[in-house]
Amino acid sequence: MLRERSAGAASAPRTRVAISFGSPASESGVTRLDLNEILVRHPQAAFLMRITGSAMREAGIEDGDLALVDRAADASHGQVVIAVHGDEFLSRRLCRRGDGLGLQATAPAVPEIWATADLGVDVWGVVTHVIRPVSS
Amino acid sequence: MFALVDVNNMYVSCERVFRPSLNGRPVVVLSNNDGACIARSNEAKDLGVQMAQPWFEVRHLERSAGLVALSANFELYGDMSSRMMSLAAAYAPRQEVYSIDECFLDFSGVACDRAETGRDLRRKVLQWTGLPTSIGFGPTKTLAKLANHVAKTADRRPGSYSPALAQVCDFGALGAAELDEVMRRTDVAAVWGVGRKTAPRLQQAGIRTVLDLKRADAASLGRQFSVLMQKTVLELQGTACLEMDDAPAPNRQIMCSRSFGSPVTELPDLIEVVSGFASRVAQRLREQRGVAGAVQVFIATSPHRRHDRQHAPSAPLPLPRPSADTRELVSAAVRALRGIYLPGYRYAKAGVMLAELQGEKQAQGSQDLFDEPVVLQPDGRRNLMDTMDALNERFGRDAVVIGSAARPAGPSAHASRQERRSPRYTTRLDEIVVATA
Repeated sequence: MLRERSAGAASAPRTRVAISFGSPASESGVTRLDLNEILVRHPQAAFLMRITGSAMREAGIEDGDLALVDRAADASHGQVVIAVHGDEFLSRRLCRRGDGLGLQATAPAVPEIWATADLGVDVWGVVTHVIRPVSS
Repeated sequence: MFALVDVNNMYVSCERVFRPSLNGRPVVVLSNNDGACIARSNEAKDLGVQMAQPWFEVRHLERSAGLVALSANFELYGDMSSRMMSLAAAYAPRQEVYSIDECFLDFSGVACDRAETGRDLRRKVLQWTGLPTSIGFGPTKTLAKLANHVAKTADRRPGSYSPALAQVCDFGALGAAELDEVMRRTDVAAVWGVGRKTAPRLQQAGIRTVLDLKRADAASLGRQFSVLMQKTVLELQGTACLEMDDAPAPNRQIMCSRSFGSPVTELPDLIEVVSGFASRVAQRLREQRGVAGAVQVFIATSPHRRHDRQHAPSAPLPLPRPSADTRELVSAAVRALRGIYLPGYRYAKAGVMLAELQGEKQAQGSQDLFDEPVVLQPDGRRNLMDTMDALNERFGRDAVVIGSAARPAGPSAHASRQERRSPRYTTRLDEIVVATA
C-alpha cells in the first residue's frame, strides 16, 4: 500500500506533524527507489480509491483496481477523473464543452452525464495511476 | 505578524470531503462516550444545536429537520489534520500547531501581500484536501485569533462585518478607525482567553465589546482579574505578550458545569457526568501547566420546577497535595459527589470546579519543611497524563477517559456507535472510497 511520507518529497515542508516515519537514506549513502516518490507528486493531496465496474476499460481502468487520485491537479478536458454526481463517486473522462461540464465512459453503451442546474458534476480529483495485481 | 489558520467545523468538514451528499445538510459529530455533539455544521448551529449538547436532546431533529449524526472518526480527522498542517507550514518560517484544526503561523520578517498569501493558502488547502479554512492576520496572537473569528463570522453571517473581511481577514491592512469599528461590533466573549465565566464579569464592569476591553486600563484589569487579562488587553492594543508556543497564563479557577435536558435522579448517572467534568477540567489544568489544591462539586435541582423538592448541595474537598492528575481529581470529585448526593431528588445541573490553582513550578518551589512534598511524577504519573492528553488532543476529546467517565458498553450503545461511524477513508485500505467506473 502507498503511504505518504513528508520526509521523502523534496517539496514537502518541514512540519511538526509527522505523516509517516522512516528515513529515505540507507546506511550506504544511496537512496533506494521509492514508489511514493515515483507515483505521489502531491502527498497531502493523494488519496486511494477502489474502482468498481467496467465502463472505463478502454482507459485502462479495470474492475477492482486501486486508483491513485490527485486533488492538487486541475482537471482538463479528456482526463480521467473522479467526479461526484449526486451521492456517487464516478470514474469518467472529463468533457468540457463551452461552459458545460460532462462525464464520459469509454464503454459506448454507458450514457454521458452532463451537469444540470439541479444535479451538478463536481470534479473530486484526477486519477493519475491504477494499481492492479498481475494474475498468473 | 501572526496568522491563525483554522478549519471551519473541522470534523464535519472532514466527513463531507468523502460524503458530499452531507453538503448543505445539518450534520453533527458525536463523542463516542457520552453521546454529546462535539462538532456541528453551520446548518446544525442554525437549528439551535449547542456545543456539547447531549444527543438525546436533539435526536428529534433527525426526523423533523433531517439532522445527520455521525460518531467521531478520529483516525480520519487526524490524517486530514496532518495534511492541512503540512500545507500551511510551507507558508511561513515557523508554525505552531495549536490543536487538531488550527495553527499559528509566524510571518515575522516575511514581506508579502498577506491577504493574497492568505487567499492562496485557503485555496490550496481547499483544493488539495477539501477542507474549508478561515485565516486571520494580526500583529499579536490574540489579534490573529480575533481576525480569524471575524473572517469566519463574516463568511457565515453576511452583514455581520464587511464582506471584504470574509474568509481571510488581515487586521494589519485596516486603518485604526476601521479596526476599532470591527472591535466595536464584536462581543467581548469572542476574545481568546476570555472564558464563559469571565465574560459576564467583564460585562458587569461595563466591558461589553472587544473595543471596550481594548480601551480598558490593562494594569487595573490585571489587578481585578488576572495577569492573563492584563496580557490580553495589551495584546489587543497591539503589544505582543505571547510568543510562538506560548499559551495564556493560568486561570484562577477552572470550572465545567452543565444543565441537563431532563432531570437525573440516579447516582451512577451523576458519577458518570461528574467524572467527565473532572476529566475535562483536569485536562484544562494541565494545558495551563497548573496544579489544583481543591476540588469542588455541586449538584442542583431546578428552581424552575416548583413542584420538585429542592436540593442544591456543594462540597469543597481539599486534596492531600496539589495535583493535576486526572485519576486523583476524578476520584476526589466522585468522593465529594457521594458525600452530597441524596436519592429521591430530580437533579437538573451539576458542575466541577478546581480551586487553589498554582503553576506546576510554583508548586514545586513553595514547599517547606512542614509541607507534604509536592511530587509531580510519582510512578510516572505525569507521563501517563501527558500521554492521555496527547491522545485526546490527537484523537479528540474523550478518546481516552477514566473508567467511571465512560458509559458502560451496553449492546445498544455499542451498536449505535459502530453504526454511525463513517469509514476510515484514508488510513484503512479496506475502508477507502469506492468509485464506480
